[in-house]
Amino acid sequence: MAVVAVVIFVAAYVLIVTERIHRVAAALGGAGIMMAAGVVGAEDAFFSEETGVDWNVIFLLLGMMIIVGVLRETGVFEFLAISAAKRAKGKPFRVMVTFVLLTAFASALLDNVTTVLLIAPVTLLVCLRLGVPPVPFLIAEVLASNIGGAATLIGDPPNIIIASRGDLSFNDFLFNMGPIVLLLLIVYLGLCRFLFRKAFLYDVEKVAAVMRLNEKEAIENRPLLIKAGGVLVLVTIGFVLHSTLHTEVSVVALLGAGLLVAIANLSPKEYLREVEWNTLVFFAGLFIMVGALIKVGVIGSLSKLVTEVTGGNLLLASILILLVSGVLSGIVDNIPYVATMAPLVADLADDAGNPGNVLWWALALGADLGGNATMVGAAANVVVVGIAEKNGYKISFLEFFKYGGLVALVTILLCVPYLWLRYFVFA
Amino acid sequence: MQARDLAVPFPAVALDSNALEAAQLMAERKLPGIVVCHGDGSPHTILPGSQVLRFVIPRYVQDDEALARVIDEQTADEMFGSLAGKSVRDLLPEDESELPVAKGEDTVMEVAALMARAHSPLVAVVEDGRLLGCVTVARLLERYLPVA
Repeated sequence: MAVVAVVIFVAAYVLIVTERIHRVAAALGGAGIMMAAGVVGAEDAFFSEETGVDWNVIFLLLGMMIIVGVLRETGVFEFLAISAAKRAKGKPFRVMVTFVLLTAFASALLDNVTTVLLIAPVTLLVCLRLGVPPVPFLIAEVLASNIGGAATLIGDPPNIIIASRGDLSFNDFLFNMGPIVLLLLIVYLGLCRFLFRKAFLYDVEKVAAVMRLNEKEAIENRPLLIKAGGVLVLVTIGFVLHSTLHTEVSVVALLGAGLLVAIANLSPKEYLREVEWNTLVFFAGLFIMVGALIKVGVIGSLSKLVTEVTGGNLLLASILILLVSGVLSGIVDNIPYVATMAPLVADLADDAGNPGNVLWWALALGADLGGNATMVGAAANVVVVGIAEKNGYKISFLEFFKYGGLVALVTILLCVPYLWLRYFVFA
Repeated sequence: MQARDLAVPFPAVALDSNALEAAQLMAERKLPGIVVCHGDGSPHTILPGSQVLRFVIPRYVQDDEALARVIDEQTADEMFGSLAGKSVRDLLPEDESELPVAKGEDTVMEVAALMARAHSPLVAVVEDGRLLGCVTVARLLERYLPVA
């Protein structure tokens, strides 16, 4: 049965990576075949905490998508971005810094795809008003979104999977990932100054065109902004306190979404607009396929193999997970990668120990930061390339890699001393 | 009643005409669109006013309502200035859908169905390869919903 499970899994994975058929069809088809072949049954797929669909992940994503959908209606992001550009007095590097920071911090609270969907249109407007090429700004933002999203449990879909598998809280992420992400952001801003230096053309007359934009007009429905902003604050407090309150983050997100829907006075079409049903179904299919590998013992065998290869040396295992995850997440989408690796890391942690959850942080940092390397490494990258193309700006694979590859390399390498010092030297 | 009976004379421009002048013609004559003809005078397609807006208004503004609200008058004027130096051909969508062109003997329902399918406020009516005129949506509605 193990061979059957591996063959089905690899076939579906190849289809997902090569995009020969839509990834949802590949994941759902793979899951269906796993069940039809008798590798897993309904009990394993839908009700088992170990091998079934991780409903915490699905409902956390659903809740946040609903909250973001309502928040998007308010125009607050456009308001913040234009205000920031005006405070930067239209100076291109300062504008890039403010947009990068705005994107990184927003990505820590919202998912990366939504964040870049919100920042990209306003970036195009500001850049074209300033007469600077928008592509470097768009690339800078999406890279910042993947870095910033790494800081929190809800910032990047791989983190949500890792938190659920590793039983990690919002605060665990904040305190372990937050400091290194802040450091990486500072280094990244320095890299931006160097990487995108040709884009910083300053024209006083064109700056006036940005200063004329009236950001206050972006907010049309102030009561909705107050309601959505209030719920987002409550949800964030709920995330911080969820382990103290013995509540899952998915419950916090769903409560927030329910409260917002109740008070926002919007139609289902409006508040469900941002819900990416494709993504949710894709996750469900992936969980069933990975669950099948767990059930037949493939994941357990692989983790034993990794333990043997590393000789039980946790530092070596952590660095290996970080680097391998970094490289592979640049080649394949980091969501299916982490969905597959998370149970393996869980087994490894059970077998060899996991001081300070270092193996989980290595996986999260590698997957989140490695996603920056190529335009297919993370969903947000694909979205930004698509927006640029729709507006007449082509970003080639190589152009993205030129910036993303270097940023991924530098940021991942900086994580090596962080993991070593924090979890081994000063543990 | 047939298409030729509903058709009214309508201004036409060539594919290589100046886009700005074509848009100004629409504005001056309060036209919902304009007929675009080949060099030999045979109709190529209809250029609706909404397609002119699609060209002028950047995609990122079309996709983001909040951005449309923050843009000032001067910036808006500059956007419309992007028509300068462009030809009518530049304004036409890349993916050519069904041409809203009917034959003189087509029934009124055929014209109405074509107009609905093509999302066009105008249908050009052609007879013997030359433009006879256009059926406007107003003429069509007038035919089916006469004022008592």
